[in-house]
Amino acid sequence: MLIEQCAYANRWRKAAPAAKGLFSLCGFVAAFAAARPETALLVAALVALSTIAGAGVSPGHYLRVALPALAFLALGCISLAFSLDLNAATGAIGLQFAPDGLGKLAAVGARSLAALAALLFLALTTPLIDLVALLRRLKAPETLLEIMVLCYRMLFVFSEAVHDTLTAQSARLGYATPRLAMRSLGGLAANLTLQVWERAHALHVAAQARNNDGPLRFMEPHFEQTARAVGIAATAGSGLIALALGLR
Amino acid sequence: MTLAIAGRTTEALLALEQVGFSYPDGSVGLADCSLSIMRGSRNALIGANGSGKTTVFQHTNGLLRPQAGAVRYAGQAIDYSRGGLRRLRSKVGMVFQNPDRQLFSASVLEDVSFGPCNLGLDSTTVRDRVAAALHAVGMSAFADKAVHHLSFGQKKRVCIAGVLAMEPELLVLDEPMAGLDYRMQEELLAVLDGLHARGITLLLATHDIDFAYRWADQIHLMRAGSCTASLDAVHLAEYAGELSAQGLPLPAVIPLQHGLTARGLLSREQRPRSCAELLAVLEGGQSAAGARP
Repeated sequence: MLIEQCAYANRWRKAAPAAKGLFSLCGFVAAFAAARPETALLVAALVALSTIAGAGVSPGHYLRVALPALAFLALGCISLAFSLDLNAATGAIGLQFAPDGLGKLAAVGARSLAALAALLFLALTTPLIDLVALLRRLKAPETLLEIMVLCYRMLFVFSEAVHDTLTAQSARLGYATPRLAMRSLGGLAANLTLQVWERAHALHVAAQARNNDGPLRFMEPHFEQTARAVGIAATAGSGLIALALGLR
Repeated sequence: MTLAIAGRTTEALLALEQVGFSYPDGSVGLADCSLSIMRGSRNALIGANGSGKTTVFQHTNGLLRPQAGAVRYAGQAIDYSRGGLRRLRSKVGMVFQNPDRQLFSASVLEDVSFGPCNLGLDSTTVRDRVAAALHAVGMSAFADKAVHHLSFGQKKRVCIAGVLAMEPELLVLDEPMAGLDYRMQEELLAVLDGLHARGITLLLATHDIDFAYRWADQIHLMRAGSCTASLDAVHLAEYAGELSAQGLPLPAVIPLQHGLTARGLLSREQRPRSCAELLAVLEGGQSAAGARP
């Protein structure tokens, strides 16, 4: 929900998603083009700065969204620094500090940070509905887009249904003991399964009522000054890539 | 309002003729159900839960096909071929009771464009129709919003816009006031009145007998899958028995009107359809028999 909140409330909400997508893509390219960890870190910092100072996403929100990914990244990087050591004589397995572990850790960690910053830039400035529209323009497979549209919409419908059912169960002491909680969770799952089936049928009927005969067709949203925004994004993105390639 | 009533024709836009329908589990949806919707009229369908209102609605849009009898649109029996249903559904728009069961794009703009896109219209026409439909329901400012950020009443309006964008002749609304607070109901009512003024025929289901009496030109009473009476709303007082059989009282203004008539404070010809209208009559602000505010 925090990502949603940022995506709808940032300064670049109305900017063409094509421009934001292009800048994000350039961020990815720059992350992988960076030869040195310091360069990748610089790319990450610049992209994060664009998100926070440019789009106006609050630093607190940015950190909260980034934290789970950063924790995952930290775990992954730590595992790179060590290697398994099998003692042939005793057959014991131990952990050993890898000789080139720190170098790998720095390279992978810094690139991943830059890639994460590029991804967060797109996610925190662009609502998913705009992204889907962009993917549609880019001729992404229709089936994939339809699944995205329906899943995204239903995510909110079902989170509301889960919340309502949990509240109703809690109000009747459904989670008073671990045993009751297990029972209530089972009931919740069963109830939701039925709701999924019912809703799917209801949506099918509603689509039929509006003359649908298969594919979900929607109008493409219109964004002001798309060419200008794409131009700016291309210039800024090229700058990032040039920086990554230049600082070797 | 008077003009709108005067503009109403006697041509039946949609007619159910002795329609019978049973669901696969054996429950009877409709049994020998006949009713007519006149072009340009406002219609309220009244009945208890399970009386067949939703089943009637699904027949109007061709979502269900009668197992007995026939459904006619503009005098012609409905053609259930792919092309026939396409034509019917472009003329009969249906708004479901629960907006979350109708809206399936997370974007307001996209969802409203869904119907016109299905009609195969070009993008400029779709864009114009979407803008006009959102304007008609007062939701232009919300075009770029996500559906899940809207209130229940706003979602209902988006549902109506999604159907309006197909420019239907008949708009069918399944309990549109359900779940709305008083203010939202009044706002929705203003939207419906605006649509009626544009010549759209309206059919809605409601449990609110006071609202039906105040708003509708024609009232259709449903019981056990059958339409037991279709009447001009102004004659509702004569159907007290039928309403009582459905567990419904007469609209509050009717006993009041009878009491005042008995005391000589109101003439028999004067039939105010709401308390506000009654007050206006008593204050002498309105003297025409059966006139609407």
